[in-house]
Formats: sequence, C-alpha cells, structure tokens
Amino acid sequence: MNLKTTVLGQTYQFRDLKEVFAKANEEKSGDQLAGIAAADSRERVAAKQVLADLTLADIRNHPLVPAEEDEVSRVIEAGINEKIYQEVKNWSVAELREYILSHRAGDSELKRISRGLSSEMIAASAKLMSNLDLVTAAAKIRNISHCNIAIGQAGVLAARVQPNHPADNVQGIKAAIYEGLSYGSGDAVIGINPVIDTADSVKDILLMTKEVMNKWDIPTQNCVLAHVTTQMRAIRQGAPADLIFQSLAGSEEGNRAFGIDVALLDEADELIRKEGTATGPNYWYFETGQGSELSAEAHFGVDQLTMESRCYGLARKYKPFIVNTVVGFIGPEYLYDSRQVIRAGLEDHYMGKMHGLPMGCDVCYTNHMKVDQNDMDNLGVLLSAAGVNFVIGVAMADDVMLNYQSTSFHDIAAFREVLGLRPAPAFEKWLEKMGIMENGKLTAIAGDPTIFM
Amino acid sequence: MEQQLDMLVDKVVAELQKKLTEMARQTGHPKEQKHDEAAAHETAGEEQPVVAEEPVRMAQVPHPKWQEGLVELLDSTPARIGVWRTGVRPLTKTMLQLRRDHAAAVDAVYGEVSQPLLDEFSLFTVETQYDNTENYLKRPDMGRILNDEGVRLLQERCQKRPQVQIVVSDGLSASAVDANLRDVLPSLMDSLKSYGLTCGTSFFVKGGRVASMDHIGELLQPEVLVLLIGERPGLVTAHSMSAYMCYRPRKGMVESERTVISNIHRQGTSPIEAGAHIGTILSKMLEQKASGVKLVL
Amino acid sequence: MEEQWIKSVGIDVGTSTTKMIVSRLRLGRMSSTFSLPRFQIVERQLLYASPVHATPLLGADEVDAERIGAILRDEYKKAEISLSEIKSGAVIITGETASKKNAQHILHLLAERSGDFVVATAGADLEGVLAGKGAGAQKRSQSIQGNIVNVDIGGGTANAAFFYRGRAIATVTFHVGGRLIRLDEQGRIQYVSPHIGSWLAAKNLYVQIGQTVTFTQIEEVARQMGRSMLDYLSGKERKVSGLLVTGGHLQEVLPIEELSISGGVGELMRTPQVENIAEVSRYGDFGPLLGQMLRHEREQGKVAFRWTEPEQTVRATVIGAGMQSTEISGSTVHIKPELLPIKNIPILKLELTQEHMNEPLRLGQEVRNVYELGQRLFGESGGIPFALALSGIGYCSYAWLQLLSQELSEQYTTIFPRSRTMVVVCETDMAKALGQALSLRCKGVPEIICIDQVRVEYGDYIDLGEPISGTIIPVVVKTLAFDEQA
Repeated sequence: MNLKTTVLGQTYQFRDLKEVFAKANEEKSGDQLAGIAAADSRERVAAKQVLADLTLADIRNHPLVPAEEDEVSRVIEAGINEKIYQEVKNWSVAELREYILSHRAGDSELKRISRGLSSEMIAASAKLMSNLDLVTAAAKIRNISHCNIAIGQAGVLAARVQPNHPADNVQGIKAAIYEGLSYGSGDAVIGINPVIDTADSVKDILLMTKEVMNKWDIPTQNCVLAHVTTQMRAIRQGAPADLIFQSLAGSEEGNRAFGIDVALLDEADELIRKEGTATGPNYWYFETGQGSELSAEAHFGVDQLTMESRCYGLARKYKPFIVNTVVGFIGPEYLYDSRQVIRAGLEDHYMGKMHGLPMGCDVCYTNHMKVDQNDMDNLGVLLSAAGVNFVIGVAMADDVMLNYQSTSFHDIAAFREVLGLRPAPAFEKWLEKMGIMENGKLTAIAGDPTIFM
Repeated sequence: MEQQLDMLVDKVVAELQKKLTEMARQTGHPKEQKHDEAAAHETAGEEQPVVAEEPVRMAQVPHPKWQEGLVELLDSTPARIGVWRTGVRPLTKTMLQLRRDHAAAVDAVYGEVSQPLLDEFSLFTVETQYDNTENYLKRPDMGRILNDEGVRLLQERCQKRPQVQIVVSDGLSASAVDANLRDVLPSLMDSLKSYGLTCGTSFFVKGGRVASMDHIGELLQPEVLVLLIGERPGLVTAHSMSAYMCYRPRKGMVESERTVISNIHRQGTSPIEAGAHIGTILSKMLEQKASGVKLVL
Repeated sequence: MEEQWIKSVGIDVGTSTTKMIVSRLRLGRMSSTFSLPRFQIVERQLLYASPVHATPLLGADEVDAERIGAILRDEYKKAEISLSEIKSGAVIITGETASKKNAQHILHLLAERSGDFVVATAGADLEGVLAGKGAGAQKRSQSIQGNIVNVDIGGGTANAAFFYRGRAIATVTFHVGGRLIRLDEQGRIQYVSPHIGSWLAAKNLYVQIGQTVTFTQIEEVARQMGRSMLDYLSGKERKVSGLLVTGGHLQEVLPIEELSISGGVGELMRTPQVENIAEVSRYGDFGPLLGQMLRHEREQGKVAFRWTEPEQTVRATVIGAGMQSTEISGSTVHIKPELLPIKNIPILKLELTQEHMNEPLRLGQEVRNVYELGQRLFGESGGIPFALALSGIGYCSYAWLQLLSQELSEQYTTIFPRSRTMVVVCETDMAKALGQALSLRCKGVPEIICIDQVRVEYGDYIDLGEPISGTIIPVVVKTLAFDEQA
C-alpha cells in the first residue's frame, strides 16, 4: 500500500490510511477540531492523489475501525457480498469513481456494485468527487421504498412535514400539519420532533396524526421522532406508529451516546414489524449527520465524512423507508459555513444513495453558522437536481422547537416547479382529489390550512 | 345561605365592574395628555429600556375557507403558518420578517453583554481561552477553560468552597443575558434566601461554554454550581437562556450529571418562575448530594 | 416521578335517580426534562359504575339523607374502594333536589361519607357543563366548526350546555323533566310542578292535580314541552318557551350545528314506543312520553341542527362529575402541604392590565378595592376568607413581582389581620415566584398558598386537594355563575 506522493515538488508521506482519508477531505471545521485535517490545499491534493491509487482491497484489509472493537464495523463487514467484492477488489478508488460516473453504470449496475462495497470504500469515492460529480452520480440512483405509499421514483420529490411545536401542543402541531399539507408537502412522512420524551406524549401525537390521516384519507405515514425506547413504550401501549425513528452514529461508542446499540435496534425492528400500523415492507426512519461521532468523542480519529458513511452501512441493515442527514444542525465547530454545509449535504446524499438507501436531506443551518437562507436555496436545488428522495418542510423554514432553519413548504413547491418534479404518485392523486394540485401545479386554494378544518 | 351569598357577590361584582369601566373612561383623557409629557421627558434624555416589540402576527391567506378557524390555528402555534404565497414563493413581508429575525439571532451571537447590567449585580468579568468569536464557534474546547488571567481573578476575588456558586455567561447569546438576568438572578437569590442557602461570589464569564462549569468547579470547589448561559438563538427568540446546574462540578463531568432548565425567556419558561425553581433544584441537589439523571425531582 | 394514578368519585343525586361512579385518573408528566415540571391528567378510566338507584325521599320534597348514605356505603363496598383512597371527585345534587330543603345537610353528610376528598356542590351551570363533558359533546365539538349543545334532561330540570371548539361557551337550564308531571296508571294527575304553571297557562294546556288525562292530552303536553325547549335553544321563539327557563337566559341566539340529549329522558328516547296511559305511567310520571316526543321531533327533522347520540345518557352527569371535574395546578407552586386540602373557598378576582404595571398607585387602589369587597362579603375570619385570583398578567418582571407582592401582602395583613392563610391562584406560570415573594414578606403570618395555571371566574368556588408527590395539586373549580364570555 503506497502512502507516499509528490505534489508540486513537495513529497508527502502519510502515516496510515486513516491520515490519508482525513486529509483527502474537503475542508471541514470538524476535521480541524479533531486535529486530523490537511494543513493546506497542497496536502489535501496529495492525500487525494494517494487515495486515488489505493485499491478497494487496501481499504478492506486496513480497517479504520477494527471489527473486533466495534459492532458497526461488524455490521458493515457482514453486509458485503463477497462475490461482487471479488470482482472489484483490485480496482483503485480512481477506477471506482470513474466507473460510477461512466455511462456504463446505470441505476441497476450501481445497485449491484454497491452490495460489494464497504462504507469506507464509498466514502473514499466521495472524497475524489467534486460537487457536480456527487450530483451526477447520485442522480443515477433511484432507491424506491414503500411504507404506506412508495416514494423515491424518478421525477419524484417527496417532503416530510415537520410540524414541531415548542410545547408539543397537539392543536399547534395539527395547525402546522394543515399548513404543510395545503402546500402539497407530507408525502414522505408527517414527522414530529417532540419536546416531551414521555410515552404518553408520544402516543398523543401519534394518535392525533393518525386521526388526521384517517379523516382526510391521506396516503402517507406518521412518526414521532422521540428516542427509540420511548416510541417502543408508546407502541406497546397501543399507539399507532407507521414508522419508527432513531438517530444513528457511525460507531458503537457513538451509538452508546445516543442510548442505542444493534441489539436494541433489532428489538425495535421486530416490534415495528409486529405492532406497527403501516403496510411496509419498510418501517424505519433514520437520521444522521456529520460530526456526531466527534461530538461524542467516539470517532477513533477517523474523519467525519467516513464516520457518516458508516452510519449508512448500519442503516442499510434495516431496509429503512427514509433516511436523512440533518446536515447543518450540529453547528459551526463541525461545518463552519455555507461551503462546508453544501459540500456535506451533497456528500451525504451521494453516499446514502450508493448504500442503496432512500436518501433525503434536512437542508438546514443553525444561527451561529455562517450560513443563511440563500445557501439553503442553493443546496435544495442542487439536491433536487441530484434526485434526493425527500427534503424537510417546515413552516417558512423556521423550526420553532428545534430553533434552526430548514427548507419551507414554499421551497418544496418551488423545487418541484422549477425542476419539473412531482409529489409521490399516490400522494399527488390525493392532492388532486383535495383540489390542492392540478397537473403538478398548486391550485388557488393551496396554502389555505383551513381546508382541513 | 350560599345562594344568597352568590347573589350578593354577583351584585357587588357587577357594581364594581361598572365603576371600573367608568374609571377607565375618566382616566382616558388625562392619559393621552400625559403621553406628550412623557415624550418631552424622553427627549430630555430619560432613556427607557428598549423592549423588542414583537409585531402582531396576522394571517395572510386572502380567502380562507374558514376565517375563524385560521385565527384559531395561528393562536395555537408560534410557527409561521397562514403566511400565504405569491406563486410558490412567500410574500415579501413574510420573507423580510424571517430575514429580520435571522439578523437578530446573528447579532445575539456576535453581541456583547451590557456592562451596566453586570455592574448592577456587581459581576466582575473573567474570560475563557476563546480569544475571538470565530474561534469561539470553531473551538468549543477553548470556551471550557478560563484563561490565566481569569484563573488568577477567581482565586483572588472569589470565596472558596461556597455552598452555592452562581456563574453567568454569554454563551451563544449575549442578548439572552441582557434580556433575562434582571428577572432570573434576583428571583434565584430570593429562593436561596427562602431555603436558607448561602451563595459565594458571583461573576461573569465571557466566551463561556457549558463545560466551563467543570474548570470553575475545580478552582472554587462549590457544593453546587449554577451557570446561567445564553442559548443558541432561534428565530422565535434570540434571547433564550439556560440554567445548567451541577453538584460538585469537576473535570470530566458528563452531560447526564448536569440538570438543565432551558428556554428561559418572556415567551417561554417564565424567568422569575425559573429563578425560583432553580433554588428548589439546588436545595434538592444539596439534600440528595447528586445532580443530573441521579437527582430525583 | 413519571406518572401516578389517583382515584376520583362522582356522585349524582338527582330528582328521580341517584348514581355513583369510581374512576381513576392518571397524572403524567407533560413537560420535557429541560423545562419546569408540569403534570396533567393524561388518562381517565371508569372503574365502577353503580346501578341507577331511585333517589330515596322522605315525603314529597325531602331527600332521605340516611338512605343515600346507606346506598353509598353499599356501593363503595361493591366497588371495593376505601374512602381514604379517594383523592378527588365531585358530588352533585341536581335539578330540583338541590332546592329541596335538606340539600345542605346531604352535602355535608356525603362529604363525610365519601372520604376525605374534594367535594363540589354544583349549580345548574356546572351540571350542564359536566353532563356535556360526560356525554362527549365537548370532545366532539373540537372536530366540527359550529356549536354543539348537549341537553341533559333528568327528572326535574334540563341542563343545556353549548360547546364551541372544545370550550363551554354558554349554559341554560329549563324546567323540563320527566317528573314535573306525575300520574298513575289510570291517568290521574298526582303532581304538577309549580315551576311550569305559567308556561302551561301560556300554552293553553290544562293539567291539574286530581284531573284524569287521556293519552292524547298528556302526549300534547309532552310534545309542547319538548318543542318549547327546542324552540328556545334554536331561538325560534323565546317569549313563551322562555317561561320554562330557570336562572339566567341566553343573551343571544347561538347557532347550533349539533344537538345531543343525555340524562334519563335521553335514555327514554331510545326505549320502545309507549301507546297508552298504562305504558306512559310505568315510572309514575310522564317521562317516557317526553322522551318519545323528543324522538318524534328528531325523526321529523324539522329543526335546523343535526341530532347526535350522546356517549352517555343516564350517567352523563355522574361521569362528568367523577371523571372531568378535576384539574391539576401547575407544578411549580408555593404551598404548605399540611394546610391542604382546603375546600369551598370563594374566588375574588383581581384583573390586572399593563396599566397597573406602569402605575403603582392604581395597582394599590385596585388591590384595596378587591380586599374591601372580600371583607364585606366574607368578613375577617381567622381562616381563609377567599382565594385571590390574578389574571391578565402576561410577562411579569422581577421588579413588578416585588411591587405586586408588596401591595398584596401589606394590605392583606392590614385588612385581614386574623387570617392565618392567604390563598392566591394565578392564571400564568408564576406561583412559585409570587408565593416566595409573598412569603418572604409575610414571614408565616399569614401562611401562603399560591398555585397557578388554573382559570377561575368571579363567583366560582375552589377546592384544593392534598398534594400528590409533593407539588401536584388536584383542583376542582366549581363554576356557580357561568360566564358566557369565558
């Protein structure tokens, strides 16, 4: 394994794969905070150059996080199809990148090769891609999933309605749901982040969302994004949940900080299959985001892009209905400004798609980052062009509970209109029935939440 | 008997209310005159504390199916609903309002706590190693440690091993301190008095993070410590404060060992009520010798 | 503490029947771990419902307190519940029973025999609201755009409550009930309530004691009575139908979208057709016919509103009383547990505005007015003269809290020097801060009980139960004078 290269007359010798991986990343404040980032552009290119020539076998044979020490590594290892891996193991990362971007590789070719790739290999390919590479590659892959309805088809952009309320007031949540539905959002999920972490409160919200869905015959799915154990309690108490949610980290230690492990996810998986209310076969909703492992000091000195990719390796075990990176939520110490957030959003989306996941993105930022709503407009359009399965809809992008900004119901309508995208087919039919949409366009009554009262 | 009493109550109340309306009507005119006087005063240099006026939220949907219902929806949530649209984009006013609130949030991050306010509560200032705001944002670890000057100041000026140590910090919102300290801190002091607790030398930490509690704990060794710190600003309010509390803070404390009351601001958790309740929590920490998840409230 | 169950009973002594229920209410934390604690009733379960007993009477207008006591003793045994377990609930003496001469005596007796729980007496307004809740009208109103009226018709009165979007907005009570006219199986009239005399006269209907009526005659009375009540509610005609109203009239015509009828007569609307006097008089009164005539009104569908089935009929009031009367105060409060429970404290209301915050003198004057009113009404007992309810305070600064607590405490100790406990009920979340400020000023004379997040009105009475887990206070607000604006 060659870890040495010369760039513009300067020779770089990297210590190990971990260092190459970290330094090959585009600039991120999180890698800098961890003290593993490239010192300058030249070192960054050197690392990319070294990485380009490494083979996929090199990556597999030198695990960044040893399987003996980490169950996420074990899940990723166990997921690799050996036959497919054998076909590609002698490819360099450069060859992998070129294959993925080539016209030879379409949707089904990429899906097949994906089964022979580890999360680290996929991460490596992302490191060699420009933003437009990431868009181009991801746009080829359609990962369709089905809970109560199917989303992810070509030409479809779905949206989660995120109707959060600072005190979990059920009426207030309902009000924001009505608003979102009236703009044509809500086909991915009606998903609430609760403030109150009790089974009672989760159950109340699940009941209310189900009631709204039943009353208006809405083809979608509900979810309350409490900790998985709280959702499990609520479901055992009879709460109607279509989806079960959890945030994931890319290491066992990181997941422990979230209060979960693989055994718990397996248990929740069994429960939602038995006692969930949806059609299936996909019942999970996962969220991820670069930086969470470092934040929990559970990153093994590995860069945040690679750790993020490992989240997807874990996620694919559970065949989720939806997965999204909450790309700009974690704060400036991990992603400092709009450049970094936009880059991370495109990376995460690409890596998720390459894992075969129905990948969405919470295009978002907090108020202490050097980002504003214009940057979100940009990333939203880029991701929509890249075929993102879904984005997040919040009233005027302002989440009054989580205190950050995402994309708005207006934004989703605009992404669709500008790029000729549609809601999920079943949902669009319903929007037409309700008179909210006609031929893919919002009608005159769209935007009036009182049509649901 | 009781029924007679009721009738009496009703009668007196009705009279009282009539009188009140009359009073209100009578005082109407003089008040208007007073307005002008007040204006004159203000120009004479008597500055009123500026209260951020929240604009009244109005539904913009031009022809809603149910007008009363729309009002009900807006009343039920601070979320920006009922905003209407032009094509698929928001109306100009709505868009500008969002930008204005974002500006306030950004200002809160980059702002400074008012010195007269700190003087009012005799809080002296120490700094962490944060250096500057950009570095503060990128390097949370540096906001957890006081700089050498800060360490020296604490050792010089603070009572050691107090029962309760109060620390105030700007954190991610200087304006949270400006907006809430006058309510939270004295209410907390009253509460300590009610519980018979004693308090060491309070001070202000510039560029502080939550875990600066640990370093301060090592230096001053209080029984319990409460840190009143500005939260990451949102758009609904940029002035929200949190109170982090800890029993015997020291290096290496984990998140679950801290007890938190967050969202303290005018439209959220009542600042005076939070102050009073922090006293209750601290007294329970002292009683149970624990904080965070181990504390039974 | 995550959750806790408390037991609550409801007892309804009506003109013709007496019922009780036992329920349990689950208190759950409804706040995040990062905010001030807040508990609410998150679940209500009916554990036991007694059979419907005939209300035991001594003669025509006196309820037999001893026998009521015996019924309850028996029912408690059947429900396998001991009095000490009961933490909340309400006793309601409904309809005409309430004006029978020993109502007060019964209430006291029931209070003693029902355990050390919070006992509520009720006026017709509260009864109507509780019955509407028990019948499910309040809940249903949340899902429709218009008003829902539930009318609970018993033996002596019909209590109507209007609900709009989950809130009770008006009540009205009629002298309409099954036992207002009693007759034997030959059709001989045994009793005609004097309350309906003027209405009968205005309608040219003649029913007198001793008179023997035909099926057709009595059917006409029942039809007219049902129709009058409906006319009043819909506003079609109120001059004659208004003669049936007891207590306050409705100020205006409130459009009705849905109507449900609960109570004993509501139940009789579902029973098979009666066709002769013998069938009519099976309970010794014209109740079955009143139910039947209301059913006819419903079937004919002449009125503009939609009729719906109530969730409960005979037991609507008792279920409302047992399961829906208790609220929970905010969980940051200032109390002395040993001073609770306290019962039947009248409310005096101090409504404050922004102007009071800017003008200390006006605040002082306002406080004095209210205290002096309290002094005139309730005297200067050594106990608790009243509970002071504070409303209209939005955001309260510390500076203003000081001003307020100074005015409240100084004037209180001057005007009520012998009172040992001062009770304050705040609408917004500020009880702990205010209680603490008052207490620092009063230093135990008087003691301070300050709770919050409970809405009360002039004329209400309030009961505060024993604290559960230290700071959770069950509260029963007894609305005697219903406020249409509320």
